[in-house]
Amino acid sequence: MRKAFAWWWDILLAFSLLAVLRIVAPLPFANEILIFSIYTMGCNFLLGRVGFISFGQPAYLAVGAYGTAFYLYYFGQNPYVGLLLGLVAGLVVSAIVGPFFVRLRSDYFALVNLALAVIVFYLMEKVLASITHGDNGLWFLANMSSTPVVNITTPSGFFIFAFLVTMAVWVFYKYLDDSIYGACCLATKINEDKLQFLGYSNFNIRWLAFVIANTTTALAGSLYAVYFGFVSPEISSPARAADPVVVTILGGVGTLYGPIVGAIAYTGMKDLVSGVIVNWELLVGFLLVFIMLAGEKGIWGSAQPLLTKALFPKRLLQDRGDGRS
Amino acid sequence: MSDGDILVARGLNVAYGESKVLFDAHLSVRPGQLVTCVGRNGAGKSTLLKTIAGFLKPTSGSVTFNNANLIGLMSYDIARMGLKYIPQDKKVFSDLTVRENLELGSYATKDYNWTPVTDYFPRLKSLMDRKAGYLSGGERQMLMIGRAILGSPKVLLIDEPTEGLAPSIVAHLKDVLKELSKKSALVIVEQNLPLVCAISEKIYAIKEGRVVAEITDPASIKAGVCEKFL
Repeated sequence: MRKAFAWWWDILLAFSLLAVLRIVAPLPFANEILIFSIYTMGCNFLLGRVGFISFGQPAYLAVGAYGTAFYLYYFGQNPYVGLLLGLVAGLVVSAIVGPFFVRLRSDYFALVNLALAVIVFYLMEKVLASITHGDNGLWFLANMSSTPVVNITTPSGFFIFAFLVTMAVWVFYKYLDDSIYGACCLATKINEDKLQFLGYSNFNIRWLAFVIANTTTALAGSLYAVYFGFVSPEISSPARAADPVVVTILGGVGTLYGPIVGAIAYTGMKDLVSGVIVNWELLVGFLLVFIMLAGEKGIWGSAQPLLTKALFPKRLLQDRGDGRS
Repeated sequence: MSDGDILVARGLNVAYGESKVLFDAHLSVRPGQLVTCVGRNGAGKSTLLKTIAGFLKPTSGSVTFNNANLIGLMSYDIARMGLKYIPQDKKVFSDLTVRENLELGSYATKDYNWTPVTDYFPRLKSLMDRKAGYLSGGERQMLMIGRAILGSPKVLLIDEPTEGLAPSIVAHLKDVLKELSKKSALVIVEQNLPLVCAISEKIYAIKEGRVVAEITDPASIKAGVCEKFL
């Protein structure tokens, strides 16, 4: 009963966090945060659950975005179909490169993904310029047909849709975290040998996690494409490769709320602080240094124990084993 | 070695790079038998278990389990066949709760009956929601053994189960190991000779990578006899 209550409480908190966003933040800012939250959720799962740090997330973001953009620019008008195709493109690409990449660990994994981001960037900018229009990008905002019930081609309609998608993705990751598979992912990060002795294949666990995380990233790319009605190679720029990692660390690695909190903090700094301070990235840099020195927990990772202590003191004691008999 | 053996290792040669660690090592275990390997630090006892469990690849030799060849199989395939290995370090999945640690064992074997685990280790019942990282050394060992016995493995390889544990927990583990051997064959690496002599049906003495003695006579299973080979 208490566990079920905690489960629904967690969802309510995430729901409220995003809903409040609509009330207090300007619509474009709120939409950007929703997209960035999904983008970061994939990276957070890889880093927090499986222990993979990836500097190649822009590659998967671009795969999703261009999957959607190609359809909406060349073939059709329905944004839902575009979103679905972007998602499938991410699924296919990550399923194909996954078996090669997940054999690598730590810095090699990070670098091979960065290399993929470089490849995708130059493919879109130079090699496939005849169909991607190079730096000019693909403009298809006017091509999209309005959708029934909620018209996602308008900013307010898009917010409702993106809000529901963000919640669905968040609940999916919460379910994964609570599942045996989530435990397997954490176990492969903690001690891969021991997991093998129990009869699990680390390779299969990592491959599936890689596909799940990068399909999520591709979904963020698809949403980006539909929201802006425009995609250019800049989306896969290696210069922005560290963004999702930074946001993940800022929010709190491995925490469910981390991506949302991190996205709010990062986008907030970018949009609000940049109005006051020109070099706002400098502030992010100092903030990250501070977070690392304070214990690598990130904003939510630091706030969570305080909130849990205030709301569910027994839960914290049990987790820590302080109340041992 | 006889036809009734469930696990047989023959002529195992194992090397870490250029450094050879095991020389023609052998071992055989009957179903339900409790076998121990004794020897000084660095003798090659743990290497023997890791090789049988598929974690290390021998340069030559054979390992058969239930008449199936294990050489070349991945360690997770071997575990699925019913041969489980419990390593020496008492590292559990520290970020997972005791319950989640057991669930990992259950899901892999499709055995969700935890009654034997909590019968052997009643202490675990009250620790189910605690992060395994907060357990004591003895509790971690209980969890590791409890997790491994899910699915009723045919053979359990246990590396130094009592190392660094309090005498009261060692006494409890001794009883548990004897009970466990009624259901699964056990191969234990252990340096505690009084314990070894109290529970073993067969002892392999390993010295500098070679099996120097195989003691099966109950009358000879004494600490004084074992010491001669170390």
